[in-house]
Amino acid sequence: MSQRAADHEVIVRTAGLRLGYGRRVVLAHVDFQMRQGEFWFFIGPNGEGKTTLLRAMLGMVRPQAGQLWVHPELGNRERIGFVPQRCDINPTLPTTVREFVLLGLVGTHTDRNDEALRLEWALDRVGLGRFEGKDYWSLSGGQRQRALVARALVRRPSVLILDEPTNGLDLAAEAAVLHLLAELNRKEHQTLLFVTHNLAIAARHATHIALFHAGEVVSGPRQEVLNRQTLERIYGVAVEISADQSGAPVVTVCPPEGRP
Amino acid sequence: MIHEFIASWALFHNTYLVGWLIGLLLALVGVLVVARDQIFIGAAVSQASTLGIALALGLGSWTATEALEWLHADAFLSAMAVVFSVLAALLTARGGEDSKESHEAVTGWVFLVSASGAILVVSHSPHGLDEIHRLLSSSIIGATQRDIWTFSALVIVTAMALGASHRRVLLFALDPAMAAAVGMRLKPWALVTSAWLGLAVGLSIRSAGMLYTFGCLVLPALVAKNLCREVRPMFVVAPLVAVCTGAVGFMLANHYDDPPAQMTVALLCLLLTIAWLIRRLRRGRDVG
Repeated sequence: MSQRAADHEVIVRTAGLRLGYGRRVVLAHVDFQMRQGEFWFFIGPNGEGKTTLLRAMLGMVRPQAGQLWVHPELGNRERIGFVPQRCDINPTLPTTVREFVLLGLVGTHTDRNDEALRLEWALDRVGLGRFEGKDYWSLSGGQRQRALVARALVRRPSVLILDEPTNGLDLAAEAAVLHLLAELNRKEHQTLLFVTHNLAIAARHATHIALFHAGEVVSGPRQEVLNRQTLERIYGVAVEISADQSGAPVVTVCPPEGRP
Repeated sequence: MIHEFIASWALFHNTYLVGWLIGLLLALVGVLVVARDQIFIGAAVSQASTLGIALALGLGSWTATEALEWLHADAFLSAMAVVFSVLAALLTARGGEDSKESHEAVTGWVFLVSASGAILVVSHSPHGLDEIHRLLSSSIIGATQRDIWTFSALVIVTAMALGASHRRVLLFALDPAMAAAVGMRLKPWALVTSAWLGLAVGLSIRSAGMLYTFGCLVLPALVAKNLCREVRPMFVVAPLVAVCTGAVGFMLANHYDDPPAQMTVALLCLLLTIAWLIRRLRRGRDVG
């Protein structure tokens, strides 16, 4: 198993990047740099270009202008793990957790021994070690989401991309998935890119944030982006930023008549 | 019963072998059809190849000159069946892509155009109408040595392709979004799998008729789906179900002097009912 890019090594860099479909421009100017071991959050409402930038990083959308550099290790996508918002598998089909997770190995070069090792490693990471032979459809919503993460992890990715993976989960399941991701980032130095429109989740877990609004992307370390001036300019509402008991920032939207 | 079947081998061995080979081929392709929940597409593709044969018969009856003798050739009928089923498979695969119309609507349109067109085209040709009725009711008597070679080659190519890239095939069938994310090019995949479905169905219809073709395409895969705990073993169980049921069906048909295609499809339906019961019992036990 090859080693990932070293910690803090740049893995994605854009400069003046313009993205869109046909003549339509979705993102007019994107400058950002992602390094190994960072936990990025892409935040913004639907239709603001989060998925378009993701697709560009995956090589599925060509830049209209500017530069997009992706670490050569990620170029063939063997070292990219992707967790979709939802999994559209035909629910009448029989499949086990093992078969489902091993589907993540498509496009990787592995032999049977390596497959077994990767499967065990990925299932252990997401806490589904005991469920290997279990019917995928008998899992709860939160467990299925963890199986999706395991399917991405089995590739031993340099970057794990998650497209709104906590949508539709109850509070407990959402907390479990977020805890799992935070642990992966903290203990395994796994680079994560989490797409969401939930600012509260990002405020708690992100090391870096990219805010998407009206074709513009404001990005950088959490403390630089999550400040009153930036948020008020991007969202057009008055906000207050405080800290919770653990020290994580909490963003509060002020009532229209003025600050509390 | 077995002795009678063995005694009939000399006369009907081509029919039996082609019936089993078609069962094998369609069961393998059918796992993909069932996995992608495209059973109705299977019906539409089968029906479309009937329209191709009807058009070929119609052309033959309208242009009864020696110069166009090839229009009456068996190869021309087979080619038209394949061309129409491939076109139908490609058309139904494309339906819904641009969000203007759903897959179901396009598939329903293909099915109905083919079903009505096939009869209308040959309605004034007694021979043509007989041939279409024979295709719709399925008769696998009359298979040739060439059919055996053709279907053997198709089975080998299909099995090798599935063996070489089973995980990619599975991911493409089960989760296209993930397949695209890991770098699989979905359009060429959809093109090749649709064309292969059309080819398998078109050739099978010409040799075995609509009922047997559609039955072997979906029933063994559905039986396997209910018996297996994973998708991968379905590629082994479905062909086994098709061949074993074909063997028993042909024996029973020979013994009771019934049509073999109908007997086999009826047995497959019975097996599917049993498989449903087994799955229900197993689920009840798992929950318990």
